Amino acid sequence: MTGESQAIVWKKQNLRELPKFRDGTSYLYLEHSTLEQDGRSIQAFHPEGMVTIPCASLGVLLLGPGTSVSHSAMKALSDTGCSVLWVGEQGVRLYASGLGESRKSERLMRQARLWASPRSRERVVRQMYTMRFPEGLPGNLTLQQIRGREGARVRDLYARYSQAHGVKWQERKYNRGNWDAASPINKAISSGTACLYGLAHAAILSCGYSPALGFVHTGKQLSFVYDVADLYKMEVVMPVAFQEAARGGDEIDRRVRLALRDHMKQLRLLERMANDLLTLLDDRHDDDPEDDDVGELWDPEGNVQGGINHDRDDP
Amino acid sequence: MIVMTLERVPPSLRGELTRWLIEVQTGVYVGAVSATVRDLLWDKVVQHARAGRCTQLYRANNEQGFAIRMHGEGRRTLVKLEGYQLVAVRDARYETLKRDFQPPEELETL
Repeated sequence: MTGESQAIVWKKQNLRELPKFRDGTSYLYLEHSTLEQDGRSIQAFHPEGMVTIPCASLGVLLLGPGTSVSHSAMKALSDTGCSVLWVGEQGVRLYASGLGESRKSERLMRQARLWASPRSRERVVRQMYTMRFPEGLPGNLTLQQIRGREGARVRDLYARYSQAHGVKWQERKYNRGNWDAASPINKAISSGTACLYGLAHAAILSCGYSPALGFVHTGKQLSFVYDVADLYKMEVVMPVAFQEAARGGDEIDRRVRLALRDHMKQLRLLERMANDLLTLLDDRHDDDPEDDDVGELWDPEGNVQGGINHDRDDP
Repeated sequence: MIVMTLERVPPSLRGELTRWLIEVQTGVYVGAVSATVRDLLWDKVVQHARAGRCTQLYRANNEQGFAIRMHGEGRRTLVKLEGYQLVAVRDARYETLKRDFQPPEELETL
């Protein structure tokens, strides 16, 4: 044991030592365990024993029923840019997000600029829809026509997966108050979608954007999360959901998450998410977060230095 | 590339492993061998370890990029969290606190 005088003083998190979102682990799911910090490690009490969680490379931590987190563990998760997401059986999602791996607000300001002008916003929306059609979309369609095509695309895919896996598909239906009443395929989709939303959220934060400023979706704190998740939902979640629903058996939500991990690795989803985000919001693909000095003060003539007293500036 | 560790095993087994791998530290071996040789070496140590413990780590095409194998009795066990391998330790602190974190009984019966 080292005495207090021998203890290491841990400085602020160096952002360079955090793996980039695209290189990290997608998600971990825990239930009936307690998260604590002990000697700088994040520990989960698991029925098998004490499990240390490699949170620095983790995109999102999904906490299921029966979990609790201590204050210091939550701070450590936030410092290392790990998103935390509470998922309940009723498909209830409740987010807590760390700071992400970016301390600068340049990207957020760019997102706000693109979002604020109807013309640039429509450009991003069209681009988002176009990404889902491998053959592309003709440029002369109205947004209403595009939405119609998207609806048809989704319906066709549902029918195709349903036929391929022999799972009857009627409609997407779930009752938030009663998880057990949902059909297996709807449970499977709910559990897979929760994972995908968590990842989209983590990707948005790790790039330094805001989850609230959505382009297609609007009016919710997580609008942009829904935007990003919708780009991949049919391709990522549905094949796995239908495959597991066809197998039958219980614990379908757990099986979906397990199969989803391999599927996402195959699709290189994390890498694609991060790249697509930067491409959509026409950003440079250099994401070397620098440790930030003091911020600046805005001025129409050009920003001035912050963190100093400007008392003498006025002649 | 593979890494293997041996604890409390017969000396001849440690010597045997050095024919394939480099002993970096007492009981820690590293080398690059094919998947077939890797599996044969694992079978060999499991067969001769007696009461000792051995682990093997090797590159794999999963999300973690590697896989873990363990053999023998110890405080550490391997847990798989939906396709992600982690290690669970049953140390003194866990044993004392375990009572508080057990899932309630009625969950089993629902």
